Amino acid sequence: MTADNRLDRLLEDQVAIVTGAGQGVGEGIAAAMAQAGARVVIAARRSANGEPAAQAIRDRGGQALFCRCDVTRRDDIDAAVAFSLQHWGRLDAMVHNAVSPPGPPRPIQEVDDETIASQIATSTTATFHCAQAAFGELRANGGTLVVLTSPAGIEGSGHLPLYGAVKGAQRGLLKSLAREWGPHGVRVNAIAPVASTPAMDAATEVNPTLEARLVGRTPLGRIGDPTADIGPVAVFLASGLARHMTGQTLAVDGGRYLGL
Amino acid sequence: MTSRGSRTALVVGSGDPADSLGVGLVAAGWSLLRLGDGPIDDDTVAAAFPTLEHLDLVVHARYPALCRWRRELTDLTTKQWHAACDEPLEAGIRLARGAYGPLRAAGGTMVYVVPLMASAGGDGFAPFAGAAEGLRVFAKSLAKTWGEAGIRVHAITLDPSAFLAPDDAAGMAEANSLHDPPLGRVPDVADEVSPVVDALTTDAFAALTGASLVVDGGLWMPG
Repeated sequence: MTADNRLDRLLEDQVAIVTGAGQGVGEGIAAAMAQAGARVVIAARRSANGEPAAQAIRDRGGQALFCRCDVTRRDDIDAAVAFSLQHWGRLDAMVHNAVSPPGPPRPIQEVDDETIASQIATSTTATFHCAQAAFGELRANGGTLVVLTSPAGIEGSGHLPLYGAVKGAQRGLLKSLAREWGPHGVRVNAIAPVASTPAMDAATEVNPTLEARLVGRTPLGRIGDPTADIGPVAVFLASGLARHMTGQTLAVDGGRYLGL
Repeated sequence: MTSRGSRTALVVGSGDPADSLGVGLVAAGWSLLRLGDGPIDDDTVAAAFPTLEHLDLVVHARYPALCRWRRELTDLTTKQWHAACDEPLEAGIRLARGAYGPLRAAGGTMVYVVPLMASAGGDGFAPFAGAAEGLRVFAKSLAKTWGEAGIRVHAITLDPSAFLAPDDAAGMAEANSLHDPPLGRVPDVADEVSPVVDALTTDAFAALTGASLVVDGGLWMPG
Protein backbone atom coordinates (compact mmCIF):
# COMPACT_ATOMS: atom_id res chain seq x y z
CA MET A 1 0.00 0.00 0.00
CA THR A 2 1.21 3.54 -0.70
CA ALA A 3 0.50 6.76 1.11
CA ASP A 4 -1.90 9.44 -0.13
CA ASN A 5 -0.37 11.29 -3.08
CA ARG A 6 -1.25 14.61 -1.47
CA LEU A 7 1.91 14.04 0.57
CA ASP A 8 4.05 14.52 -2.54
CA ARG A 9 6.70 17.23 -2.07
CA LEU A 10 5.77 17.99 1.55
CA LEU A 11 9.27 16.94 2.61
CA GLU A 12 11.12 17.93 -0.54
CA ASP A 13 14.81 18.62 0.18
CA GLN A 14 14.57 17.07 3.64
CA VAL A 15 16.66 14.19 4.91
CA ALA A 16 15.30 11.75 7.49
CA ILE A 17 16.64 8.83 9.49
CA VAL A 18 14.09 6.19 10.48
CA THR A 19 15.24 3.55 12.96
CA GLY A 20 13.75 0.09 12.78
CA ALA A 21 12.79 0.85 9.18
CA GLY A 22 13.38 -2.66 7.88
CA GLN A 23 9.82 -3.71 8.60
CA GLY A 24 6.50 -2.78 10.12
CA VAL A 25 5.70 0.77 11.19
CA GLY A 26 9.25 1.98 10.56
CA GLU A 27 9.20 0.71 7.00
CA GLY A 28 5.82 2.33 6.43
CA ILE A 29 7.00 5.66 7.79
CA ALA A 30 10.16 5.54 5.66
CA ALA A 31 8.08 4.79 2.55
CA ALA A 32 5.67 7.64 3.26
CA MET A 33 8.48 10.10 3.96
CA ALA A 34 10.22 9.10 0.74
CA GLN A 35 6.98 9.52 -1.18
CA ALA A 36 6.75 13.01 0.33
CA GLY A 37 10.13 13.80 -1.22
CA ALA A 38 12.50 13.13 1.66
CA ARG A 39 15.76 11.28 1.22
CA VAL A 40 15.57 8.53 3.82
CA VAL A 41 18.17 6.57 5.74
CA ILE A 42 16.77 3.13 6.48
CA ALA A 43 18.47 2.51 9.82
CA ALA A 44 17.90 -1.14 10.59
CA ARG A 45 19.68 -3.86 12.50
CA ARG A 46 19.52 -6.44 9.73
CA SER A 47 20.47 -5.94 6.09
CA ALA A 48 18.16 -8.82 5.24
CA ASN A 49 15.17 -6.50 5.62
CA GLY A 50 16.85 -3.09 5.58
CA GLU A 51 18.24 -3.41 2.07
CA PRO A 52 14.93 -4.61 0.55
CA ALA A 53 13.06 -1.79 2.33
CA ALA A 54 15.42 0.77 0.77
CA GLN A 55 15.26 -0.94 -2.62
CA ALA A 56 11.45 -0.92 -2.56
CA ILE A 57 11.50 2.84 -2.09
CA ARG A 58 13.99 3.30 -4.92
CA ASP A 59 11.87 1.06 -7.14
CA ARG A 60 9.01 3.50 -6.66
CA GLY A 61 11.22 6.42 -7.61
CA GLY A 62 12.10 7.55 -4.10
CA GLN A 63 15.50 8.05 -2.50
CA ALA A 64 16.57 5.72 0.29
CA LEU A 65 19.75 4.10 1.53
CA PHE A 66 20.22 1.34 4.05
CA CYS A 67 22.54 1.89 7.00
CA ARG A 68 23.08 -0.93 9.46
CA CYS A 69 22.13 0.34 12.91
CA ASP A 70 21.57 -1.46 16.18
CA VAL A 71 19.96 1.23 18.34
CA THR A 72 21.32 -0.34 21.51
CA ARG A 73 24.77 0.76 20.32
CA ARG A 74 25.56 4.47 20.56
CA ASP A 75 28.30 4.11 17.96
CA ASP A 76 25.78 2.78 15.45
CA ILE A 77 23.46 5.75 15.99
CA ASP A 78 26.32 8.21 15.60
CA ALA A 79 27.33 6.34 12.45
CA ALA A 80 23.80 6.63 11.03
CA VAL A 81 23.89 10.41 11.51
CA ALA A 82 27.36 10.54 9.90
CA PHE A 83 26.05 8.38 7.05
CA SER A 84 23.22 10.84 6.47
CA LEU A 85 25.66 13.75 6.33
CA GLN A 86 28.12 11.89 4.15
CA HIS A 87 25.55 10.89 1.53
CA TRP A 88 23.06 13.72 1.65
CA GLY A 89 24.75 16.52 3.54
CA ARG A 90 22.13 17.14 6.18
CA LEU A 91 19.57 15.75 8.60
CA ASP A 92 16.12 17.27 9.18
CA ALA A 93 14.17 14.53 10.93
CA MET A 94 15.16 11.77 13.28
CA VAL A 95 12.38 9.19 13.67
CA HIS A 96 13.05 6.70 16.43
CA ASN A 97 10.82 3.71 15.89
CA ALA A 98 12.95 0.66 16.69
CA VAL A 99 11.89 -1.35 19.69
CA SER A 100 12.78 -4.68 21.19
CA PRO A 101 9.91 -7.15 20.67
CA PRO A 102 7.80 -7.05 23.84
CA GLY A 103 7.35 -10.82 23.83
CA PRO A 104 4.27 -12.72 24.89
CA PRO A 105 1.76 -11.20 27.29
CA ARG A 106 2.68 -11.83 30.92
CA PRO A 107 2.35 -10.13 34.32
CA ILE A 108 5.32 -8.20 35.63
CA GLN A 109 6.08 -10.76 38.33
CA GLU A 110 6.95 -13.20 35.54
CA VAL A 111 9.21 -10.85 33.56
CA ASP A 112 12.93 -11.53 33.90
CA ASP A 113 15.76 -9.01 34.29
CA GLU A 114 17.06 -9.57 30.77
CA THR A 115 13.73 -8.60 29.23
CA ILE A 116 13.49 -5.48 31.38
CA ALA A 117 17.01 -4.40 30.37
CA SER A 118 16.34 -5.08 26.69
CA GLN A 119 13.13 -3.04 26.61
CA ILE A 120 14.77 -0.13 28.38
CA ALA A 121 17.79 -0.24 26.07
CA THR A 122 15.76 0.13 22.86
CA SER A 123 13.27 2.58 24.31
CA THR A 124 14.61 5.09 26.81
CA THR A 125 18.35 4.72 26.25
CA ALA A 126 18.06 4.60 22.48
CA THR A 127 15.73 7.60 22.44
CA PHE A 128 18.32 9.52 24.46
CA HIS A 129 21.08 8.50 22.08
CA CYS A 130 19.06 9.26 18.93
CA ALA A 131 18.12 12.67 20.31
CA GLN A 132 21.60 13.57 21.41
CA ALA A 133 23.26 12.33 18.20
CA ALA A 134 20.84 14.25 15.97
CA PHE A 135 20.54 17.47 17.93
CA GLY A 136 23.28 19.47 16.21
CA GLU A 137 21.82 18.89 12.76
CA LEU A 138 18.22 19.31 13.91
CA ARG A 139 19.09 22.64 15.47
CA ALA A 140 20.94 23.77 12.37
CA ASN A 141 17.99 22.93 10.12
CA GLY A 142 15.00 23.68 12.34
CA GLY A 143 14.37 19.95 12.35
CA THR A 144 12.24 17.56 14.30
CA LEU A 145 12.47 14.46 16.45
CA VAL A 146 9.60 11.98 16.19
CA VAL A 147 9.35 9.08 18.63
CA LEU A 148 7.11 6.08 18.11
CA THR A 149 5.43 5.35 21.40
CA SER A 150 2.22 3.41 21.99
CA PRO A 151 -1.27 3.76 23.45
CA ALA A 152 0.16 1.41 26.09
CA GLY A 153 2.48 4.26 27.06
CA ILE A 154 -0.52 6.42 27.86
CA GLU A 155 -3.14 4.18 29.40
CA GLY A 156 -0.91 1.28 30.47
CA SER A 157 -1.19 -2.32 29.37
CA GLY A 158 -2.43 -5.22 31.41
CA HIS A 159 -0.89 -7.68 28.98
CA LEU A 160 2.44 -5.91 28.49
CA PRO A 161 3.12 -3.86 31.63
CA LEU A 162 6.82 -3.48 30.92
CA TYR A 163 6.14 -2.25 27.39
CA GLY A 164 3.68 0.31 28.75
CA ALA A 165 6.31 1.56 31.21
CA VAL A 166 9.06 2.11 28.66
CA LYS A 167 6.65 3.68 26.18
CA GLY A 168 5.40 6.00 28.91
CA ALA A 169 9.00 6.87 29.76
CA GLN A 170 9.56 7.96 26.17
CA ARG A 171 6.65 10.40 26.50
CA GLY A 172 8.04 11.96 29.67
CA LEU A 173 11.36 12.35 27.91
CA LEU A 174 9.91 13.91 24.77
CA LYS A 175 7.78 16.44 26.66
CA SER A 176 10.87 17.57 28.52
CA LEU A 177 12.84 17.79 25.29
CA ALA A 178 10.04 19.80 23.71
CA ARG A 179 10.51 22.37 26.46
CA GLU A 180 14.28 22.18 26.25
CA TRP A 181 14.63 22.33 22.47
CA GLY A 182 11.76 24.64 21.60
CA PRO A 183 13.97 27.72 22.02
CA HIS A 184 16.40 26.14 19.54
CA GLY A 185 13.64 25.73 16.96
CA VAL A 186 13.59 21.94 17.24
CA ARG A 187 10.20 20.27 17.60
CA VAL A 188 9.70 16.96 19.44
CA ASN A 189 6.55 14.88 19.02
CA ALA A 190 5.35 11.29 19.26
CA ILE A 191 3.01 8.94 17.46
CA ALA A 192 1.09 6.22 19.28
CA PRO A 193 -0.01 3.83 16.54
CA VAL A 194 -2.02 0.67 16.32
CA ALA A 195 -0.95 -0.96 13.08
CA SER A 196 -0.51 -4.21 11.22
CA THR A 197 3.09 -5.17 11.78
CA PRO A 198 5.15 -8.34 12.04
CA ALA A 199 4.86 -7.97 15.82
CA MET A 200 1.07 -7.82 15.51
CA ASP A 201 1.14 -10.85 13.23
CA ALA A 202 3.19 -12.75 15.80
CA ALA A 203 0.77 -11.81 18.57
CA THR A 204 -2.14 -12.96 16.40
CA GLU A 205 -0.45 -16.29 15.83
CA VAL A 206 -0.33 -16.83 19.57
CA ASN A 207 -3.83 -15.47 20.06
CA PRO A 208 -5.87 -16.02 16.89
CA THR A 209 -8.86 -14.00 18.08
CA LEU A 210 -6.75 -10.91 18.85
CA GLU A 211 -7.13 -9.19 15.49
CA ALA A 212 -10.88 -9.69 15.30
CA ARG A 213 -11.34 -8.41 18.83
CA LEU A 214 -9.15 -5.40 18.14
CA VAL A 215 -10.98 -4.56 14.93
CA GLY A 216 -14.32 -4.99 16.68
CA ARG A 217 -13.33 -2.39 19.25
CA THR A 218 -11.94 0.10 16.75
CA PRO A 219 -14.47 2.68 15.50
CA LEU A 220 -12.89 2.86 12.04
CA GLY A 221 -13.19 -0.92 11.84
CA ARG A 222 -9.67 -1.87 10.83
CA ILE A 223 -6.10 -1.94 12.02
CA GLY A 224 -3.86 0.77 10.63
CA ASP A 225 -1.61 0.23 7.64
CA PRO A 226 1.98 1.33 8.36
CA THR A 227 2.43 3.19 5.07
CA ALA A 228 -1.03 4.54 4.31
CA ASP A 229 -2.21 5.28 7.86
CA ILE A 230 0.79 5.81 10.13
CA GLY A 231 3.35 7.14 7.63
CA PRO A 232 1.39 10.28 6.64
CA VAL A 233 1.20 11.36 10.28
CA ALA A 234 4.98 11.16 10.54
CA VAL A 235 5.21 13.18 7.31
CA PHE A 236 2.87 15.77 8.79
CA LEU A 237 4.91 16.04 12.00
CA ALA A 238 8.15 16.42 10.04
CA SER A 239 6.67 19.00 7.70
CA GLY A 240 6.12 22.71 8.07
CA LEU A 241 2.39 22.01 8.49
CA ALA A 242 3.15 21.03 12.08
CA ARG A 243 5.51 23.92 12.73
CA HIS A 244 3.63 25.07 15.85
CA MET A 245 3.27 21.61 17.38
CA THR A 246 5.71 20.24 19.92
CA GLY A 247 5.53 17.94 22.92
CA GLN A 248 2.46 16.17 21.58
CA THR A 249 1.53 12.53 21.17
CA LEU A 250 -0.82 11.75 18.29
CA ALA A 251 -2.76 8.51 18.70
CA VAL A 252 -3.13 6.98 15.23
CA ASP A 253 -5.29 4.03 16.13
CA GLY A 254 -8.58 4.24 14.27
CA GLY A 255 -10.23 5.56 17.42
CA ARG A 256 -9.39 2.46 19.46
CA TYR A 257 -8.26 4.44 22.49
CA LEU A 258 -10.62 7.34 22.85
CA GLY A 259 -9.91 7.91 26.52
CA LEU A 260 -6.28 8.86 26.09
CA MET B 1 -6.36 10.20 60.35
CA THR B 2 -7.54 6.98 61.89
CA SER B 3 -4.88 4.99 63.72
CA ARG B 4 -4.12 1.66 62.05
CA GLY B 5 -1.18 0.42 64.11
CA SER B 6 -1.38 -3.14 62.85
CA ARG B 7 -0.85 -2.15 59.24
CA THR B 8 2.56 -2.16 57.63
CA ALA B 9 3.81 0.18 54.94
CA LEU B 10 7.04 0.10 52.98
CA VAL B 11 8.21 3.53 51.81
CA VAL B 12 10.96 3.45 49.21
CA GLY B 13 13.32 6.35 48.55
CA SER B 14 15.75 8.63 50.36
CA GLY B 15 15.10 12.25 51.24
CA ASP B 16 11.88 14.00 50.35
CA PRO B 17 9.15 13.31 49.52
CA ALA B 18 9.77 9.77 50.83
CA ASP B 19 10.86 11.01 54.27
CA SER B 20 7.86 13.29 54.71
CA LEU B 21 5.47 10.62 53.48
CA GLY B 22 6.95 8.27 56.07
CA VAL B 23 6.49 10.85 58.82
CA GLY B 24 2.87 11.34 57.83
CA LEU B 25 2.12 7.64 57.67
CA VAL B 26 3.68 6.99 61.08
CA ALA B 27 1.56 9.81 62.49
CA ALA B 28 -1.46 7.99 61.08
CA GLY B 29 -0.52 4.83 62.95
CA TRP B 30 1.25 2.86 60.27
CA SER B 31 4.18 0.58 61.06
CA LEU B 32 6.89 1.78 58.72
CA LEU B 33 9.60 -0.03 56.79
CA ARG B 34 12.06 1.87 54.64
CA LEU B 35 14.26 1.20 51.65
CA GLY B 36 16.50 4.01 50.48
CA ASP B 37 18.01 4.88 47.12
CA GLY B 38 20.24 1.80 47.05
CA PRO B 39 19.92 -0.85 44.35
CA ILE B 40 16.57 -2.55 43.99
CA ASP B 41 17.50 -5.95 42.71
CA ASP B 42 16.40 -9.46 43.49
CA ASP B 43 18.65 -9.60 46.56
CA THR B 44 17.42 -6.40 48.15
CA VAL B 45 13.81 -7.23 47.37
CA ALA B 46 14.26 -10.70 48.80
CA ALA B 47 15.83 -9.22 51.91
CA ALA B 48 13.04 -6.70 52.33
CA PHE B 49 10.05 -8.95 51.83
CA PRO B 50 10.41 -12.59 52.89
CA THR B 51 10.05 -11.90 56.59
CA LEU B 52 6.75 -10.18 55.96
CA GLU B 53 3.60 -12.23 55.95
CA HIS B 54 1.84 -9.39 54.29
CA LEU B 55 2.35 -5.81 53.25
CA ASP B 56 -0.57 -3.39 53.28
CA LEU B 57 1.06 -0.52 51.44
CA VAL B 58 4.09 0.12 49.26
CA VAL B 59 4.93 3.73 48.43
CA HIS B 60 7.54 4.29 45.76
CA ALA B 61 9.30 7.66 45.73
CA ARG B 62 12.81 6.51 44.90
CA TYR B 63 14.57 9.01 42.69
CA PRO B 64 18.33 9.12 43.33
CA ALA B 65 20.22 12.39 43.39
CA LEU B 66 21.15 12.37 39.70
CA CYS B 67 17.44 12.38 38.77
CA ARG B 68 17.04 15.68 40.54
CA TRP B 69 20.07 17.27 38.95
CA ARG B 70 19.08 19.88 36.38
CA ARG B 71 21.05 19.37 33.21
CA GLU B 72 20.23 19.69 29.53
CA LEU B 73 20.03 16.42 27.64
CA THR B 74 22.82 17.35 25.27
CA ASP B 75 25.20 17.70 28.21
CA LEU B 76 24.49 14.27 29.72
CA THR B 77 26.84 11.32 29.38
CA THR B 78 25.38 7.88 28.78
CA LYS B 79 26.45 6.88 32.29
CA GLN B 80 24.56 9.84 33.74
CA TRP B 81 21.52 8.99 31.64
CA HIS B 82 21.52 5.44 32.96
CA ALA B 83 21.78 6.67 36.54
CA ALA B 84 19.09 9.33 36.17
CA CYS B 85 16.54 7.51 34.00
CA ASP B 86 17.11 3.85 33.20
CA GLU B 87 18.16 2.70 36.66
CA PRO B 88 15.29 4.38 38.58
CA LEU B 89 12.78 3.10 36.01
CA GLU B 90 14.14 -0.42 36.23
CA ALA B 91 14.26 -0.29 40.02
CA GLY B 92 10.65 0.81 40.22
CA ILE B 93 9.64 -2.10 38.01
CA ARG B 94 11.67 -4.60 40.01
CA LEU B 95 10.17 -3.31 43.22
CA ALA B 96 6.71 -4.19 41.95
CA ARG B 97 7.87 -7.63 40.94
CA GLY B 98 9.09 -8.27 44.49
CA ALA B 99 6.15 -6.62 46.22
CA TYR B 100 3.49 -8.64 44.44
CA GLY B 101 3.42 -11.59 46.86
CA PRO B 102 3.26 -9.61 50.13
CA LEU B 103 0.73 -7.18 48.68
CA ARG B 104 -1.48 -10.01 47.42
CA ALA B 105 -1.42 -11.63 50.86
CA ALA B 106 -2.78 -8.43 52.39
CA GLY B 107 -4.99 -7.19 49.60
CA GLY B 108 -2.70 -4.21 49.73
CA THR B 109 -2.15 -0.97 47.83
CA MET B 110 0.83 0.29 45.84
CA VAL B 111 1.39 3.97 45.15
CA TYR B 112 3.94 5.50 42.81
CA VAL B 113 4.72 9.10 43.72
CA VAL B 114 5.92 11.16 40.77
CA PRO B 115 6.76 14.81 40.04
CA LEU B 116 4.67 17.02 37.79
CA MET B 117 7.29 16.88 35.06
CA ALA B 118 6.39 13.22 34.47
CA SER B 119 3.19 14.33 32.77
CA ALA B 120 4.09 17.86 31.76
CA GLY B 121 7.81 17.63 30.97
CA GLY B 122 10.58 19.59 32.59
CA ASP B 123 13.27 21.67 30.96
CA GLY B 124 16.55 20.15 32.12
CA PHE B 125 14.88 17.12 33.67
CA ALA B 126 14.35 14.77 30.72
CA PRO B 127 15.73 11.67 32.47
CA PHE B 128 13.73 12.33 35.65
CA ALA B 129 10.57 12.93 33.62
CA GLY B 130 11.20 9.79 31.59
CA ALA B 131 11.64 7.53 34.59
CA ALA B 132 8.73 9.05 36.47
CA GLU B 133 6.29 9.00 33.55
CA GLY B 134 7.26 5.41 32.85
CA LEU B 135 6.38 4.53 36.43
CA ARG B 136 3.16 6.57 36.39
CA VAL B 137 1.97 4.59 33.37
CA PHE B 138 3.34 1.38 34.88
CA ALA B 139 0.99 1.93 37.84
CA LYS B 140 -1.95 1.75 35.43
CA SER B 141 -0.62 -1.48 33.91
CA LEU B 142 -0.23 -3.01 37.37
CA ALA B 143 -3.73 -1.92 38.31
CA LYS B 144 -5.08 -3.78 35.29
CA THR B 145 -3.31 -7.04 36.06
CA TRP B 146 -3.29 -7.01 39.84
CA GLY B 147 -6.92 -6.07 40.40
CA GLU B 148 -8.03 -9.69 40.34
CA ALA B 149 -5.48 -10.41 43.08
CA GLY B 150 -7.07 -7.73 45.24
CA ILE B 151 -4.21 -5.27 44.88
CA ARG B 152 -4.94 -1.66 44.02
CA VAL B 153 -2.31 0.54 42.36
CA HIS B 154 -2.27 4.31 41.93
CA ALA B 155 0.04 7.18 41.03
CA ILE B 156 0.17 10.50 42.84
CA THR B 157 1.63 13.53 41.12
CA LEU B 158 3.22 16.20 43.30
CA ASP B 159 4.52 19.68 42.69
CA PRO B 160 8.21 19.67 41.71
CA SER B 161 9.07 21.41 44.97
CA ALA B 162 8.53 18.08 46.73
CA PHE B 163 11.54 16.69 44.87
CA LEU B 164 13.81 19.53 43.75
CA ALA B 165 16.08 22.15 45.19
CA PRO B 166 14.17 25.42 45.78
CA ASP B 167 15.67 27.30 42.82
CA ASP B 168 14.93 24.49 40.39
CA ALA B 169 11.42 24.06 41.77
CA ALA B 170 10.76 27.77 41.38
CA GLY B 171 11.89 27.59 37.78
CA MET B 172 9.57 24.67 37.12
CA ALA B 173 6.66 26.47 38.72
CA GLU B 174 7.30 29.49 36.54
CA ALA B 175 7.46 27.35 33.41
CA ASN B 176 4.37 25.28 34.13
CA SER B 177 1.81 27.58 35.67
CA LEU B 178 0.42 31.00 35.02
CA HIS B 179 -1.34 31.26 38.35
CA ASP B 180 -0.84 30.71 42.07
CA PRO B 181 -2.16 27.52 43.68
CA PRO B 182 -5.95 27.93 43.84
CA LEU B 183 -5.92 26.50 47.35
CA GLY B 184 -3.37 29.11 48.34
CA ARG B 185 -0.41 26.81 48.97
CA VAL B 186 1.51 23.85 47.62
CA PRO B 187 0.48 20.98 49.91
CA ASP B 188 2.73 19.93 52.77
CA VAL B 189 3.72 16.35 52.00
CA ALA B 190 3.59 14.97 55.55
CA ASP B 191 0.40 16.75 56.59
CA GLU B 192 -1.57 16.87 53.34
CA VAL B 193 -0.26 14.23 50.93
CA SER B 194 0.22 11.35 53.37
CA PRO B 195 -3.48 11.45 54.31
CA VAL B 196 -4.35 10.96 50.63
CA VAL B 197 -2.07 7.92 50.48
CA ASP B 198 -3.61 6.65 53.71
CA ALA B 199 -7.12 7.19 52.40
CA LEU B 200 -6.41 5.24 49.21
CA THR B 201 -5.82 2.12 51.33
CA THR B 202 -9.23 2.31 52.98
CA ASP B 203 -12.48 0.63 52.02
CA ALA B 204 -13.81 4.03 51.02
CA PHE B 205 -11.65 3.71 47.91
CA ALA B 206 -12.17 -0.02 47.37
CA ALA B 207 -13.57 0.61 43.89
CA LEU B 208 -10.69 2.82 42.79
CA THR B 209 -7.58 1.52 41.06
CA GLY B 210 -5.23 2.81 38.37
CA ALA B 211 -5.93 6.42 39.32
CA SER B 212 -3.49 9.24 38.65
CA LEU B 213 -4.16 11.83 41.32
CA VAL B 214 -2.61 15.28 41.17
CA VAL B 215 -2.15 16.55 44.73
CA ASP B 216 -0.67 19.99 44.18
CA GLY B 217 -3.21 22.46 45.49
CA GLY B 218 -4.71 22.88 42.02
CA LEU B 219 -1.64 24.26 40.27
CA TRP B 220 -2.01 21.88 37.36
CA MET B 221 -5.37 20.65 36.16
CA PRO B 222 -4.88 18.06 33.43
CA GLY B 223 -7.52 16.65 31.15
